[in-house]
Amino acid sequence: MILEMLQDPLVRVAFAVLLPIIAIFLGLFYKGLDRKLSARLTSRIGPPIRQPFRDVRKLFLKENIVPENSIPWMFNAMPLVAMATSLTLLLYIPFGPFPAPLEGRGDLIVLLYLLAMQPLAMALGGFASGSPYASVGAQREMVLMMSYEVPLATIIVGFAYLYASVPAAASAVWAPFSLGMIAQTPVWAVVSGPVGIIGLLILLGVLLVVTPAELVKIPFDIAEAETEIAEGLLAEYSGRNLAMFYLSDAVRSFAMCAIVVVLFFPHTLSSLVPLTAYPWNTEPVLFTLETLWFLLKVFIVYFFAVTLVRTSFARIKVDQAAKFFWLHMTLAALFGLLLIYLDVGGWF
Amino acid sequence: MTTTYTYSLPIGPIHPALKEPIRVVAEVEGERVVRADVKRGFAHRGIEFMGMKRNAIQTLYLSERICGICSISHPYAFVKAVENAIGMEAPPRAQYIRTIIAELERIHSHILWLGVIAHEMGFDPLLYWTWKGREMVMDLLEYLTGNRVNYAMYMIGGVRRDLNEKKIRAIKENMNYYRQFNQEMKDVFMSDPTYKARTRRVSLLTRKDALELCAVGPTARAAGLRMDIRQDQPYDAYADMDVRAVVPQDITGEVMGDAYDVTLVRLYEIDQSIEIIERCLEDLPPGPILAEPNLIKLLMTIKRSEGEGVGRHEAPRGEVMHYVRFDGTRDGPVAWKVKAPSYNNINIWGRVLVGAEIADIPIAVGYIDPCMCCNDRVAEVRRGGRELPYEEVRRKCREKTMRIKREVMG
Amino acid sequence: MPTKMMMVLIKQMFRKPYTNRFPVKYAPKDVTGLIQKVLRGEVKIHPPVPVPEDFRGKLAYDPERCIGCKMCIRVCPANAMEFIPETRKIRHYVARCMFCALCVDVCPGKKLPGEEAPVKALKMSEEFLIADYDKYSKNLVEE
Ligand code: SF4
Ligand code: SF4
Repeated sequence: MILEMLQDPLVRVAFAVLLPIIAIFLGLFYKGLDRKLSARLTSRIGPPIRQPFRDVRKLFLKENIVPENSIPWMFNAMPLVAMATSLTLLLYIPFGPFPAPLEGRGDLIVLLYLLAMQPLAMALGGFASGSPYASVGAQREMVLMMSYEVPLATIIVGFAYLYASVPAAASAVWAPFSLGMIAQTPVWAVVSGPVGIIGLLILLGVLLVVTPAELVKIPFDIAEAETEIAEGLLAEYSGRNLAMFYLSDAVRSFAMCAIVVVLFFPHTLSSLVPLTAYPWNTEPVLFTLETLWFLLKVFIVYFFAVTLVRTSFARIKVDQAAKFFWLHMTLAALFGLLLIYLDVGGWF
Repeated sequence: MTTTYTYSLPIGPIHPALKEPIRVVAEVEGERVVRADVKRGFAHRGIEFMGMKRNAIQTLYLSERICGICSISHPYAFVKAVENAIGMEAPPRAQYIRTIIAELERIHSHILWLGVIAHEMGFDPLLYWTWKGREMVMDLLEYLTGNRVNYAMYMIGGVRRDLNEKKIRAIKENMNYYRQFNQEMKDVFMSDPTYKARTRRVSLLTRKDALELCAVGPTARAAGLRMDIRQDQPYDAYADMDVRAVVPQDITGEVMGDAYDVTLVRLYEIDQSIEIIERCLEDLPPGPILAEPNLIKLLMTIKRSEGEGVGRHEAPRGEVMHYVRFDGTRDGPVAWKVKAPSYNNINIWGRVLVGAEIADIPIAVGYIDPCMCCNDRVAEVRRGGRELPYEEVRRKCREKTMRIKREVMG
Repeated sequence: MPTKMMMVLIKQMFRKPYTNRFPVKYAPKDVTGLIQKVLRGEVKIHPPVPVPEDFRGKLAYDPERCIGCKMCIRVCPANAMEFIPETRKIRHYVARCMFCALCVDVCPGKKLPGEEAPVKALKMSEEFLIADYDKYSKNLVEE
């Protein structure tokens, strides 16, 4: 019933308008959780979970300083671009039981571009701020981006290849690059043998490693290195602009983890537990449960891929990161791809 | 060929990598530093001048405030210098207590450095963890001396507070804790892949450079030089302890002289300190703790003495040296010169920064554990080629303070 | 890639945080009001970390015991003591004091009638919460 309602264009638009608000809320909420857990990991009490909300409010109240030797229009525009892309990104991700609002109007490739847009906006903003710290940060961001995009693209290719191999009859409108499809048919069911499973596991590992780099978190927060280049890209940003970057970072962190969940763990709760067996299985209850289940999955990925990683490693250097991604991660991703190729080709 | 251009990246006087003000201007080309310049003098307070206006006991407590972290190193060197000048010796029990306090301080200072260097590479959780472990020795020092920092423990000719049974037991328990904690720290620091990636071959200091630039302390030892005042010129209880300098070639078999080796040296020196403290406690001789318990008499003795003295102590960061001179007219030094370890060690920045990456700058800056307020000893205030007399500088300081006060208070 | 540090961290997660807590979670709007409430037992606060014995806190001065010998002024490294000629007592500026307790060591004190030994006029108390905006505030000048 709810799904049918969502077919209605008006409802869809309303959903699309509502989603960014929910997304900002969730992004900040997860950030709060992340900070709290990271504090507990380090034996501290940590800020209350609502601290990110307060931070954003405070930043919006603060003066917005534009440095003298910056390029003002670019400097001011980039936070908006970053924010907009982050929110758009979310519109492509099936949110638990709800289909993505922009379902069918873009696919994994668009996601890849949208993911790259925000770091790009930050780098441009850094270049535009006219500070040596920011430009060093921007250079580093560019190098890092070029390094982790390759493994990321390899993963996407792997998925496309895998889904393209499924007989078209399985669905009326089969789109191998569509996230909606991936969400409905878990990858683990698409591969046919253990080799494919191993390949997928490798790809999952690579994706989990790429996640902190994508989100500019330690060990890959090279572009913002506080002790080296004084927050780098963000060195000159303040007030509203900084709040925009902060929000876009929060939303993107949530979105990136959601992508990991959608790609690798799309299993619904009802596919694991026979929910329909219970008397209260009305549709709203089911939808609520499924949404919570989705949020829980995202949280688990968030904890392991972001919080735990960012608390237990040191920041590495940009050449080390580049080498790590180009050599180790790209090779691993290609190997995973090869295994999937073998699996699809039916050699095993 | 593409033409490369350089631009200068200012680090400091205020920068997240620096805990105290100093300025490093790095000419960078992409990520490489091609030239580095260090400018010091931001934390000069004229302490030596102040000391020359006070009596020796007052100066002793002033010396405790030279450094914000090692609040026993400077008093140690100062009391040794004064005792040297007036020909006094602390009773054996006092010598042992001095050594115990100095070694406790080494433990807390080394753990502090381990945390700071972790922070420099963005490894804050390690900072929190090491400093959490450091709390125990801080609490112990508070228990033994009455405060967490600025222990006010030493006195010319002895120490001011004795150790009773309860305190000795507390130290022993603490040492057991640190033996275990240091083992954990070694495990974590030496096995961590990112820590190794950030410190191996970073700020390489060769043996030759270390000698040329007069590096001291752990920095010099990491470069393979077996130098340690406690070994070369043992004083107080160290003379009975037979201290051996901790050098990386004894730990891993090879010397790199990089930030990783410094870490090793510091980690193993904590073990060494624990051993020294335990031996001191075992052999703690009975007896008085002050050669001259009456402070007024002590001041009279100093007033009557003439002569100069040098005191050296192996502070956690390296050799600290004090020089004092008495001329028989005042009860305080007429000349007082302080040389802190960071004064030597900062010299090596110019060498290790060239060719380093920007990301290495905090590590290179942090790995000598610099103490700016220790090293800033001399400042020349010149205007128009004229040296300003003390009174004028003071008047200007006052004027500025008043102006700021007016501005702030409205 | 699990490292030793990760193990340490995960172990810490299941322990109580090590941080010393503030007396109350958020800075109160009205401190005196809060203190009164605490005194009346309406609010509970996290007790401060106890100080060890022989802690050197704010100096406590008992003019009754002072004989005006100026010894404390002689040794005080921070010149925190001032002599009042009229009363032949001293005035102590806590804002200048650096808590070295030298004055306590030298103070001879006075023997009141009926006492065995003289009791010092100065001693280190356990009080350490002495921050103030005004260095001459009542709390920071003892006489
Ligand atoms: S404690 Fe030290 S600084 Fe304070 S008044 Fe006494 S002698 Fe002076
Ligand atoms: S030393 Fe004691 S008795 Fe003498 S003036 Fe100072 S406080 Fe009074």
